[in-house]
Amino acid sequence: MHRLGATLRTTVGSGGNVRVKCENEISQKSWLKYRKNPAYVYILPPLLLMTLKLVCPRLIMVMAIGALAGQIGAATPVCSPTDLPDAEIARRFEARREAVLARATAVIDPAHPTRGGFIEVAACLQQGAHREAALARLAQLNAPMPDLNMFWMFPMAAVMVAGHDGLDQASWDRIQELWRVYWPSRGDTENHWCLYYSSLYLAAQTMPGAGPEKWFNGKSSAENMAEAKSYLEHWMWVTTTHGQGEYDSPNYIQEYLIPMSLLTGWAKDDAFRQKARMMLDYLIYDYAVENVDGYYGGAHSRVYPKQIIAPGNTPIAAIGWLLFGFGEQIPDPANTLIALSGYRPPPILERVARDRSRPYVERELKRTRWRLRNAGPDSFAIGDKRTVPVYKYSYVDADFVLGSTQGGLLQPIQQQTWSLTWRTDTRVQDAANTFFGVQPYSSPLEGTMFFGGDWDTVTDLIARSKADYDSEDKLPGGSPYEQVFQHGTALIALYDMPAHNRFPHITTFFSRDLVNTIEDSSGWIFTQGGAVYIAYRPFAPGTWKPNDWTGLLRRGTGGFIGAGFAQWGAGSRCYVSDAPRNGYVVQVAPARDFASFAAFQAAVRALPLKISTAAAPEATFTALDGSVLHARYGDTPSVKTKPVDYAHWPLFDSPFAHEIRGSERLEIRHGAQRYRLDFKRTLIQETVSSAQP
Amino acid sequence: MNAPLALLLALIVSLPATAGAAAPAHQLYAAVAMTKAQKNSSTPTDSGLYTRAPDGQWTHFGPRALGVTSIVVQPGSVGRVILIGCSDGVVRSADGGKTWRKTTGWEVADVRALAFDGQNSSDAYAATCWGPLRSTDGGATWALAQTGLPKLYCQTLVTDPRQPGRVLLGTEDGIYLSTDAAKTWSRTASPAACILRLARSAADPQVLVAATLARGAWLSCDNGDSWSATDSASAAANLYAAAIDPANGAHLALGGWAVGVRISADGGKTWTDRSAGLPVKNIFVLSFDPDVHGRLWASTFEEGTFFSDDLGATWHDGGLYGAYGFDLTFLPVTR
Repeated sequence: MHRLGATLRTTVGSGGNVRVKCENEISQKSWLKYRKNPAYVYILPPLLLMTLKLVCPRLIMVMAIGALAGQIGAATPVCSPTDLPDAEIARRFEARREAVLARATAVIDPAHPTRGGFIEVAACLQQGAHREAALARLAQLNAPMPDLNMFWMFPMAAVMVAGHDGLDQASWDRIQELWRVYWPSRGDTENHWCLYYSSLYLAAQTMPGAGPEKWFNGKSSAENMAEAKSYLEHWMWVTTTHGQGEYDSPNYIQEYLIPMSLLTGWAKDDAFRQKARMMLDYLIYDYAVENVDGYYGGAHSRVYPKQIIAPGNTPIAAIGWLLFGFGEQIPDPANTLIALSGYRPPPILERVARDRSRPYVERELKRTRWRLRNAGPDSFAIGDKRTVPVYKYSYVDADFVLGSTQGGLLQPIQQQTWSLTWRTDTRVQDAANTFFGVQPYSSPLEGTMFFGGDWDTVTDLIARSKADYDSEDKLPGGSPYEQVFQHGTALIALYDMPAHNRFPHITTFFSRDLVNTIEDSSGWIFTQGGAVYIAYRPFAPGTWKPNDWTGLLRRGTGGFIGAGFAQWGAGSRCYVSDAPRNGYVVQVAPARDFASFAAFQAAVRALPLKISTAAAPEATFTALDGSVLHARYGDTPSVKTKPVDYAHWPLFDSPFAHEIRGSERLEIRHGAQRYRLDFKRTLIQETVSSAQP
Repeated sequence: MNAPLALLLALIVSLPATAGAAAPAHQLYAAVAMTKAQKNSSTPTDSGLYTRAPDGQWTHFGPRALGVTSIVVQPGSVGRVILIGCSDGVVRSADGGKTWRKTTGWEVADVRALAFDGQNSSDAYAATCWGPLRSTDGGATWALAQTGLPKLYCQTLVTDPRQPGRVLLGTEDGIYLSTDAAKTWSRTASPAACILRLARSAADPQVLVAATLARGAWLSCDNGDSWSATDSASAAANLYAAAIDPANGAHLALGGWAVGVRISADGGKTWTDRSAGLPVKNIFVLSFDPDVHGRLWASTFEEGTFFSDDLGATWHDGGLYGAYGFDLTFLPVTR
């Protein structure tokens, strides 16, 4: 295959490793099609070129390559932030950061003494804004006994460290009293523990000599700091060797960026602070490489119904604005704490987040949440905790991300096994720019696999806070009867459900933002989301139902998870099929690759496809890129008869990074830039090739 | 019967039989989570340990931590050394509950049961969802105790009052025995089932009963070396509760989900459903009162705690409505 990377090396004559050879690079044919997108400017006058050479050297590089490839006149993108110099990226971030702080400090208002929370108080105390009003508000907030556990701890820790110099003695006395009398629970999820221990560490740091009598748990400040640091370093090690457990959640990434920001901003231990900062880079890269226009694409460990239907309602949509300027400014506690911490993302992260000059495949290794029971034969132990590898695969295009995991029970409650997310012009919080499938499943087997609860109560108690968990029209969730396989822009999902399955059907979500949906006589259902053509071929027929067909969310039964349903949740529908042996094929393509939607349909209809549900569900499909994909339920899938190599699945793999399992490092690459996070040595190395293209 | 008279009779009946008698030698503690009122929340409205006063009132005791499941007192410490198991680990008091200290690190979570060694009171053991622990200093420090266990999940254990270092552990995959103070474990001839509760007879320590997930109840008459099924009617049930009357070893009690309370008065030969009078048949804890012979306590799922003085023929309201009970423990009263 002719690779663009080779073209770059030959043409530009760079002395450095301009491009990393990677099997995931997309063919030049596809790239050239992309460049025919009319959205790009074709003719630039020489004067503009000279100007651009100063501001956007990479742009000149792209144009030169394009010309040499014979495609130019040329298809050259307009100057995007990817092409901006470091200083300009930093300046723009700084402006957004200032806006976040201005918004946060404005919440505390002497004229409205009951407005604002701990984080706004912290912002005011750090920034020297409305100090008296902030202290008064803090006294109000601290009056009752806390009850939010780690969700009380981190805002309080933020006040203690960010607002440290602005606190008065009365406030300190009350804060210290609360840490003595209130026993916050550590919780039971990875994000809970990160929040708990980072907060405990920093709170203890502010009371360095405090003995056991000063703390709710009877441990001294030194002991609490040691325990907290030990856990957090272990978490960092597991994450950078085996992958994150609560991986790639567009919701819960907030609960990781917050603790790492707190430590980055205020941990006094230089090496520990550095590690936290490196983890921030690491987590943000993980998002940057799988986003489309700020939306976190692909498979996710945890999403709420509101977020799975309308992806702009996730915290990452707000955070993406601060980090990279995506979308619009939306108040978010993580943004405020990132802003207060002084963390500045390295410019290479913005380049990764925005550089969609060519489609690419991102593979990532994650792991399931710890399985304490029913771990299964595919589990392995890290220390004395058992887990199962999660194999993530995402096809990232300028206009969409199609991403998946292998299926199965990877996370309790809120797993999203696969999804398609596309670029959209619809307002962030209203956009329903997503397409995905689910086998609705709930069971005590899953509950007791991941929680310490009892078999007969665990489902009920889960549903007390996640009401949709035990509902037939649920949209998030994993299933032990689901196996998914993706290659490029094609995906095969197989289902083999026993008769006793609680919700014996599969659901495919067709959002309200899809247009031109056609049930074709060939058996394919064609539809379009933004600039993405979608073909969906169910193995067995189904029926259309409105999403939330039980009315659970629209009735408000889900509490906060269903609030505002009319705005974000109404108007979509689901294709529901109840055949016990079932499946579907999904083939997507950027609209720019076809002359028309009809041409796409014709191309898909012509693709060889053989499906069977007589025994184990099975499909053999020749995808648009010519690859013959084969999947049979229970077997390892294959591409062109070669089985997928899960045993050597990398920790990260794309044109922007390649790391193997266990590496404890991440080298981010963009053009000639290298940004290395070495967790073994707690070291950041940043280099740029001398022969910058 | 008119209503006031019925109320009066109910009140009289529900009064502890010991009222007016000598002060009891034991104090009842309930480890509970208040889940009944838990709406749109992942945490109960309250949780922890409650202790019951002679007048029937329950008072919170100890740290208000989540997931409190068990309490034990170190023998010979005159009530000073108390261990509590909770979601965050093991919490210890060395001054009779005035102050508390978490004595486990981040590695320990979800403690489900605690026990002191039957002979050597400096040794203590914990069953956690992540594997068992052992302590050699009265619970001040803890170490993992996993050697010999193919699966680590465990939520119940019992020690032997006659033999130091002998511990039976209920795991995800049957019952394991240690004779070296939890340093190593070996499997007993027990069912391949998740063991939810182990109870030993105080009257005859050779006798034990095990409650299991989906495999009913099992009885051992040889100190836990071998086990045989008992109560065929609940053979496929999820049984969470098991108790043996300390005053009469022939009195056995089992409880479970949708099973209610099942009683044997003949050492497990025959069993009778004794759920009539209870508001629900979902039982998580059963415990015999060591001070009131024959009194059996039962904790339901969220519908309250009840006691019976006639082996379940009649039940009396014991309070704690809304609680999800994990344990009912009688601890010696310190005088």
